[in-house]
Parts: sequence; C-alpha cells; structure tokens
Amino acid sequence: MSSVTGQVAYAGAPVAPKRANVFKRIFNHRNDYLYVLPALLVMLIVIAYPVYYTIELSFFKTPPNLQMKDKIFVGLDNYWAILKSDSFREVTINTAIWTVASTFFAFLLGLGAALSLHREFAGRGVMRAVLLIPYVVSAVAASYVWKWLYHSDFGVIGALAVQLGLSDKPINFLDNVHTVLPSLIVVNIWKEFSFAMIMLMAGLQTVPEQLLRAAQVDGANAWQRFWHVTFPHLKGVSMVTVLLLMVANFNSFIIPWIMTGGGPAGASDIWITQIYTIAFGRQRYGVASAYAVILFIVMMTLGYFYVKALTKGDESRAG
Amino acid sequence: MHKDQTGRFSRRRMIGLSVAALSAASMLLSATASFAQSVDLSKWSPEYIRSIAGTEEVDTAATCSKVVPLDYKGRLTYWWTGPNDASPDIERKINDEFWAAWKATYPNIETDAQNIDYNQLLDKLRTALLGNAGPMVLRLQILGGIEFSSKGYFQELKPEDVGYPTADFWPGAMKSVTYEGKTYGIPTNNETMAFIWNADIFKRAGLDPESPPATWDDVVTYSKTIHDKLGISGYGMVAKQNAGNTPFRFMPQLWAYGGSALDESSDAPTYESVGLNNEGTKAALQASYDMYVRDKSVPVSALTNTQNENQNPFIAGQLAMMIAHPAEYAKMVDLAGKATGADKAVADAVVANMRYGLIPEGPARRAVVFGGSNMHFIKNEYVDGGFDEQAAKAFACFWNSPEWSTKLAWTGSNPGNLAGFKTKWMKERLDTIKFLDVTTSMLPSGIPFPVVPEATEIMNIIVPDMLQNALTGKMTVDQAADDAAKKVEELMGGGI
Repeated sequence: MSSVTGQVAYAGAPVAPKRANVFKRIFNHRNDYLYVLPALLVMLIVIAYPVYYTIELSFFKTPPNLQMKDKIFVGLDNYWAILKSDSFREVTINTAIWTVASTFFAFLLGLGAALSLHREFAGRGVMRAVLLIPYVVSAVAASYVWKWLYHSDFGVIGALAVQLGLSDKPINFLDNVHTVLPSLIVVNIWKEFSFAMIMLMAGLQTVPEQLLRAAQVDGANAWQRFWHVTFPHLKGVSMVTVLLLMVANFNSFIIPWIMTGGGPAGASDIWITQIYTIAFGRQRYGVASAYAVILFIVMMTLGYFYVKALTKGDESRAG
Repeated sequence: MHKDQTGRFSRRRMIGLSVAALSAASMLLSATASFAQSVDLSKWSPEYIRSIAGTEEVDTAATCSKVVPLDYKGRLTYWWTGPNDASPDIERKINDEFWAAWKATYPNIETDAQNIDYNQLLDKLRTALLGNAGPMVLRLQILGGIEFSSKGYFQELKPEDVGYPTADFWPGAMKSVTYEGKTYGIPTNNETMAFIWNADIFKRAGLDPESPPATWDDVVTYSKTIHDKLGISGYGMVAKQNAGNTPFRFMPQLWAYGGSALDESSDAPTYESVGLNNEGTKAALQASYDMYVRDKSVPVSALTNTQNENQNPFIAGQLAMMIAHPAEYAKMVDLAGKATGADKAVADAVVANMRYGLIPEGPARRAVVFGGSNMHFIKNEYVDGGFDEQAAKAFACFWNSPEWSTKLAWTGSNPGNLAGFKTKWMKERLDTIKFLDVTTSMLPSGIPFPVVPEATEIMNIIVPDMLQNALTGKMTVDQAADDAAKKVEELMGGGI
C-alpha cells in the first residue's frame, strides 16, 4: 500500500514545523496560486463579503420603520431571541425530520435504482433516462404539479384513492398538520433520488468484477457479495452523496415554500423557509441573519466532513 | 412600553400619530366640504355612479401641460405591477395605448418602465433601495408604501403637486398615503371586493338564488346547507399562510363582527390598541372554525389556497360563493372561453348564474378591505441616476388624470382620481362590465389596513397564522386570538 510506504519513508526524516512547511509549499506552488487568484477574488466578493455582512447584520436590530443604515446594535439578542422562541424548537424538529428522512430514503432509493440499472437488461438505457427525469425537472414546476396531485379537494391521488376504494373521501395531504411534512418529504425524495442514483452508478463502475466473481466462486450469495464486496467499494461515494444530499436538504426551499409556504400552522416550516419569512415577510433582517448564521455553522460542519471525505488519502499521496 | 427610537408608543410617535389622526380628520372634513367640485360621496350608490358617468369631458394633455410643459426634455424610470399574460386582453390593450399616448404627449421624456410581478415588486424595491438603485416613480399596492415612507425613502407628494385637488381622492385612500401627518403619494386606483355566488347552486340547495347571505352568520348557515344538500363546498374560504390574499378575505369578516387588528376600523384610528383578542375577532374566528372544522362546508384545501385556487372550483360549479375582486367576472368569462367539451357547458352555465352582491354584514358593520395602489416619488439619493422632478410630475399628472386613472383601472379597479367617475370611459365601463356598479358601491364600506410600518407583518403573517392555528386545532379559538394579539403587542412595542 503506497500510503503505508510513504509513512515509513518519512518516519526517520526530521520533522519540520508545520507552519513553515505550509508557507514553503505555498511558495513552491506560487504559480498555481496565481492561476487560481482570479477565481479566489471572485469568490471573496460574491461569497466572503455576503457571509461577513450576514454575520455583522446578525448583531443588529432592523425594525421595519428604520433604514438599514440606522440599524441598532443588540449584541447577541437576536440569537437569544431565536433560541428561546417557541417556534425554534418546532422548526428545528421539522428541519431534522425533513433532512434526515429525505436524505435516508433518497439515498436508499437511489442505491436500489443504481444496483438495478448496473445489470444488463433490455431497455436499461431508456429506464436510466426515465429515472433521471425528476432530477432534470425544474423544482418549481415539480412543486406545482405535486401540489395539484396532492390537492385536498381535487387532487389526482386523492381521487384515485377514492376510486380504488382505499378511502371514502380525498386524502388530506397538505392541509393537515400531521401529514403535510411526510407528504413534502415524498416529493423531495422523488426529486433527489436520481442524484443519488447517478453518483452510486458511477461508484459501481469502480467495483472490481474479479472480486465479485471470486466471491461468487467462494460461495457467497447475492446479499453477501453486495455487503462484503460492493458496498465497501461504495463507501467513499456514499459518504459524499449523503453529505451532499444533507447539505441540499438543509438548504431546500423551493418545495416546502411553493407547496405550503411553511403551513399549515407552521407544520412544514423548516429553517430555510423560516429565515425567508423572517427576512422578507417580517423585514427582520437581523434576526434572519442570526438564523442564517446558525444554519451556516451547521452547513460548514457538514462541509468540513464533505471535504474530508472527498480528500481522504490525498494528503498522504501528495507527500 | 418601549421608549427607544423604534418603540411604537414613544412620545415622538404619539405626537406623530396624533398629528396624523388630526390630519386625517381634517382631511375628511375638507374633502367633504369640497366634494361639490367633483363627486358627492354622501350620495354614493349604484344609481348615483351611473348618473354622473359620462357627464364631463377632459383633455389630459392640456391639464398636464399646466404642470409640466409638453416639450419638456428629461428622463423617467418607473416600476409598477401592470398587466401580465394572465390578465384580460383589454388590460394589455389599454396598457399599450397608455404608453403610446404618453410617448405622444411627452415625446422628449425618455422612459424606462419596468412591469414587475406583484409578488416580486416589494422585495426588488427593498433590495434596490439598499443599493440606491431605485426608480424615480413607483406604483405600489396600498399596503406597501407605508414601510418605505417610514424609512424615509419617499418624497412628500400630494395630488396638488401634480395638478389635482386632494378632495378628488377617497379619504380612505389618502389615509393610506399619510404617515405621521405627511402625505407621501397619490392614490392611482381604488377598489373594494364584493360577494359572488352561483345562483344555480343556491336554487338547487333550496336557497333564494337572487339573494346573497345578508349576514356572516347566514354565510355559515348557507355554506352548511349547500354542503349538506349538494356535497360541494359552500363558501370559498382562503387561509393560506404568508399570503396577502388571506387578510383580504378574512378581515371583512373580522371587522363585521366588531374585531380589528389594531383600531383601524374606528373613525379616527390611532393604532395604539390591539383588537385581535376582542370578542368580535373571536366571533369571526369561531365562524371560520365552524365552517372549516365543525361543518366541513368549505374546501379542505383552504389552508393552502389563495383566491386563484378557488377560481377553478367556482367555474366548475363546485364552489357556491366567495369574496371576489371586481375583475373576477372578467376572469370567469375568460376561463369559460378557454374551456372545451363538457367543461364548456358547465363553465358557461356558471357564468350565466354568477351574481355579485354586497359583502354580508356582521353585528358591528358591513366591511371590506379598502384596496388599490398608490404612486410614490423616491428621494433623489436613492434613485439610480438621480431624480428628474419635472419628468416625474409630468408622468404622475398623466397617469392620475381622470382619463388614464379610469382607463388603467378598466376591469380590476376604479379610478383613484374621483373625477374619473364622470368621464365617458366610466360610462363605457359601466355599460360593458357586469356588476361594476355593485363592487363600486362597496367602496364606502372600505376600511384601509393599519397605516403603520408593521401592517404587512400583521396582515400577511400574524392574521393568517391566527386562522391556521385555530383551523388546524393547534390552538383553540380563544388561544389563537390571544396568541395573535400578544404577537401584535410585542411587535408594536418594538420587540425583535
């Protein structure tokens, strides 16, 4: 294994201070840094400044009768106001359910689809294209279509349920505090599983065929071959897929906003819809910024793990 | 009570509000005194509206030339919500005619006009003003302007500045452009909604097909009767969260029962007391609860519906009655025109059986939201490229003239300039637009939303939340009303 060899080779060498090492590496790669400088500058303007301004704003009160330049410094009051509000607990629980359930089931469905499509069968190409449709359809259009499919009075799904005798009246998907979030999660899973499928299909290409054959020769059944050979090879791509899905779901706005606007009675309100309402419905940019900073911290934590998963082994290879 | 600079009950604010109240009162008096010059609001009725229509000739170019010479050379930027693809054809046609006429009258004013979607205009404006990139002139929905007036973005502007007397505008409309005693705009158009019903459904349900429910209690009864006898929805309730549609439908009911958000339904509101937990509000909320939860006589989807979602069941004969915009009839005719096959016969029958009537009364009053839009001038420092006063005044004069104020409000509203009611175009509207006289007669029952910067939050968020909390069973009616009142008190007290 190259990484082990690398570690042995460096074991006897004098250990240089890490900081000096970093500067030396930057100096040695100065031309590379020059090449990425324009992109870095653009990112500073379009990402770093808005992030800085959001953090700054989170310490101010911005009532609707004052211009932004007249905002009032309130320290951490916005954060306390959020953390102690009744709605925060409810919205956080909704966000956790939304994110975890959407990610888990989208991944599971994507994995199933990827495994099915990995095998040769007639019409595989067509099936692959069909399963990709949810991913390429605009989220806004999909939300409106699903809203009508779910409609509590005239929805197709409710009408079908009545016709098939499954229910004596149309099912109330979106106008019930208990069913609205699961109904939205189903739409989100439908929209996202194709992404997991694509990622995992790419991952499946890296599973060595000879290992699978060898396992088969050794008497392993289909489940054992999947669990002991295929799945370990998918570990890296699965980690990245799950993290990307989680980030996307934490930030998911279109589906809940268009389909319910966070209602009824806040039952489908998640962090991002709450932030939008506070900022643009209530004009409380300070509180909304504080909320966004909390979300940002969560996202950065996920981002850290994402980068770590993505670059796993790179450092040892870079030497 | 907070006493910081944002507190609603600070001394400065109190003085401001007192001045505003006095101004509104004096405006009412002066307006009443000078109505002989234009129309007589004390006689306002369908008959009176018809009697004055077409009695006055106007020359818009001549009127505006007295404000700004027609050869003035300048530049104008303008944002408004105009007709879109979903608008009736006639609205788009009139819009085109207006811009052609403007160009012909003031050929040397270079104009950049942006027609921005209703739901996007406020957000776009807020963002633009932060970057000092606003337009010179702006037309905003009636509730939108006060936020920007209070923040100091708007210039003081009154009808006299562009050649028209304040007396020629509805006192309620003038109240909506007045903040702390100063006037910040000109009402461009005003409308009130009315009550529509399907006479055929009424007949089949054993109700008088030609009479709408007289009271809100009757609405509850009628809705239940229709649902029980025919299995379709009776009243088209709208209770979506974060939606402006909701207060426009619920507040008339709330005011009728004697409720209020602040004290906007009183003759001289001070906006200092909260009425969301009074007995009237609770009675209105209970009526909605009875229809949605107890009787199940309204659409289940009311919690996610805006008025748009009620149009399809109405034209399909699956919904009996609702509060509707003056343009609803034109919209229904449009929908019927697009229907095909068996749907066409149903839609045509609905249009033939469509009736307009006054919104029902409650124990306290008959009420409706006083709606419309206002025109504002943005201060020079917030305008992209600077403010051209003469160009802006010429445009405001032209748009708010009796002629164009009437034409631009053709199907959906009424002229903000009351002199428009006397023009031949008003007569043409009355002759061609069914039920226009009915919707117009609701205007004296109009109550404007509170003229405070917090009004958007109260109406679009707190009121719909209150409804949803009660209708979903998350809270009892009393708890929902108390919770909403508490939120308004915190908000008005300067809470975060």
